Amino acid sequence: MAHTVNAARCNKCGQLSYPTHYYCSKCNATEFSPIPISGEGTLLTFTRAYALSLDYEQLYVTFGIVQMDQGVRATGQLDIQEPVLGMRVRATVGPVRDIGGRDVFGLRFVSVFPDAAAVESDQPALSASPSAS
Amino acid sequence: MMDHLEAMLRPPKLDMAPYPAKHILLANGETMVVRSASLDEVDVLLDAIDPLRTLDRDFYDVVGARLYAELLGWKRHRVRNEYCLVGVIDGELAGIVNGRMFDEKHGISYHTLTLKRGLRIGAHLFASKMEHHIEYLGQDEVWIVAESPIGHRRWMIEYPLQQKFSIQHELGGAPSWVLTRETYFKAKSRLVSGARPVPAHLLEKSYPIRKPDLRTMLIQIGETLEAKL
Amino acid sequence: MRDVVIVGAATTQFGRAQWSLLKLMAEAAHGAITDAGIERKKIDAVYVANMGSARNNRQAGIASALVDRMNLYPVAADTIENGPASGASAVKNGFLAVASGMYDCVLVVGGERMQEVNNFEATEFVSYLSHRFAEYIYGITLPALAGMFARLWMQKYGVTSEHLAMVAIKNHANALLNPASHLKMPIAMEGLLHSPDSAMNNPFVADPLRFFDCCPVSDGAAAVLLAPADLAKNFKKTPIVISGIGQATDTQAVHERPDPTVLTAVQTASRKAFAMAKLEPKDISLAELHDAFTILEIAQSEQVGFFPEGEGHLALERGVTQITGKLPINASGGLKAKGHPVGATGVSQIVELALQLRGEAGKRQVKNPRHGFALNFGGFGNNVVATILSKGA
Repeated sequence: MAHTVNAARCNKCGQLSYPTHYYCSKCNATEFSPIPISGEGTLLTFTRAYALSLDYEQLYVTFGIVQMDQGVRATGQLDIQEPVLGMRVRATVGPVRDIGGRDVFGLRFVSVFPDAAAVESDQPALSASPSAS
Repeated sequence: MMDHLEAMLRPPKLDMAPYPAKHILLANGETMVVRSASLDEVDVLLDAIDPLRTLDRDFYDVVGARLYAELLGWKRHRVRNEYCLVGVIDGELAGIVNGRMFDEKHGISYHTLTLKRGLRIGAHLFASKMEHHIEYLGQDEVWIVAESPIGHRRWMIEYPLQQKFSIQHELGGAPSWVLTRETYFKAKSRLVSGARPVPAHLLEKSYPIRKPDLRTMLIQIGETLEAKL
Repeated sequence: MRDVVIVGAATTQFGRAQWSLLKLMAEAAHGAITDAGIERKKIDAVYVANMGSARNNRQAGIASALVDRMNLYPVAADTIENGPASGASAVKNGFLAVASGMYDCVLVVGGERMQEVNNFEATEFVSYLSHRFAEYIYGITLPALAGMFARLWMQKYGVTSEHLAMVAIKNHANALLNPASHLKMPIAMEGLLHSPDSAMNNPFVADPLRFFDCCPVSDGAAAVLLAPADLAKNFKKTPIVISGIGQATDTQAVHERPDPTVLTAVQTASRKAFAMAKLEPKDISLAELHDAFTILEIAQSEQVGFFPEGEGHLALERGVTQITGKLPINASGGLKAKGHPVGATGVSQIVELALQLRGEAGKRQVKNPRHGFALNFGGFGNNVVATILSKGA
């Protein structure tokens, strides 16, 4: 079964929101239809985080906020070695966390122009994590 | 002259290259000298570790007791090919790391004990220990186990180490992890710091080693003073 | 509404607690009661601020448990959980209870014992503040949200890593003057950023934020005792007036904010507090801001209204926010160095202001303060409480 991450489209006025709220922020209606977050968008900001929960065995995870061309914004993980503010990215869905032994699926953004991104390197570019949060 | 029985009890030693001292500028503006400790200095190290052996905080008791035993074993010539590096700030002991050569090509990391916390001294000293095994002792691999979650996270993930569960590390416990030459040189620019040579006046100030004031040390580590003093 | 004053204030040592959470809280409460010079049977109600006792300390119903620990029965008791803004929220609720006339003597205690769990669990626990489905599942942490915020802020206003380090250096220096602070360690620019050893000394936690840009994980408790102004003469210390309180909320998922660099709840809560106090930012003598991350002190100093947009870091550069400056910020050491026991933080900010306004802040005393401002920032700015305290006439 294909996994999706859904935004909510208001059945009355068509307003998209993500995440879902009880009332439509535009018309106050309460009925919505799921719309998968997909396609391309623009990277608004990002961070490479080293102080992670124990669930993660990686040195770091890169997080970003993306303005989707669909109209909504979303937070997700970036599969991009050297992200740049304003770069074009594409939404994919994949495992993002292991919670209680089960993979949880969510948004993973990749570069639309992988060639333009910096060369892949197995050497982490930045420094290490401390023990404090 | 050593008697015959004592000579039998003392293990034959491999040649061990010295660790050249280096200095590191810390976040608080102080300079830490990292250098090897000599057998003559073991007593002051034991004295500093002694009160930590019963400190049930962040595995200080396990690490303290085992490090104490390892250093005593070294002093009495009962552990083969052991070395000890110390971090010293203005003559005061800030941390201790030790390990030994298992054979020419394989090293064993023993312990990392930080007496002054909050300045990443443990991370600096662990990196110095890896530097010693690979660059100065000329070894291919260092075998490592962690005894605390912080240690596990720091060493296994930051370097990152490889699993080598076929080897039983001589500290017992969890299966071994391995730092190879290749991993070390990849991680070196990120994790190994310090400059050489140490200016003479700085090096001089690192002798003799003073143990930190017990109260200051325990406040640093965060233990209850009432329980220990 | 009746005017409400602070008649007692106290804090425990922040850092790593020797005691259980309840004993920590009781110690702070006892301090405030003693400071006020009253008998504890005068207390009508207790508000307890805490975020994680059920998870981290295996104790739910912490307000009832504290009443029991202190033999305060049959007082009314409520637990207030509002994330990192729990402390100021509890003070606000205590204020309302006294102002309304329902109670005459209210004890507000905030406390947290975070170091009962390891740092990874503490990070995980605090990350529960993020949106469960749109943020938490990705492994988002509060430092990660702050890192994304810092990247935007630094780019927009030309703030550098050196500016962030200046906040940390200032607050570490202030904490050295505060006996209750967690981190008593001076830090210096060279070792933080400019030495070849800096990458190891001060590594990235969530770039561009580094280790020394983040507050420590602390244990601690703080308490204040509130009473109506007309009964203040029954207490031994100079009463300090709670002159303004403002609170506002914002989206839980940070990405839903139209401009993620605008902390709308900070702006709204501050504006409301100033309106209630009939004061303006220029009237404030000192401020305690929520510097869980260094970037937040700079951002909040602008969005509260102390400095024009994009000039917070310039004021910092000029020394305006030093204890001896025109507007001292985080004279206590702030969350950065005094420490951040989550539930205690908001109460401890108010304790600091009360001590400063009474002239009892010792070596970190700000000269002749009239009005103090505290900003307690919950989640990543999705629930913010601003409080203004004033010296009585």
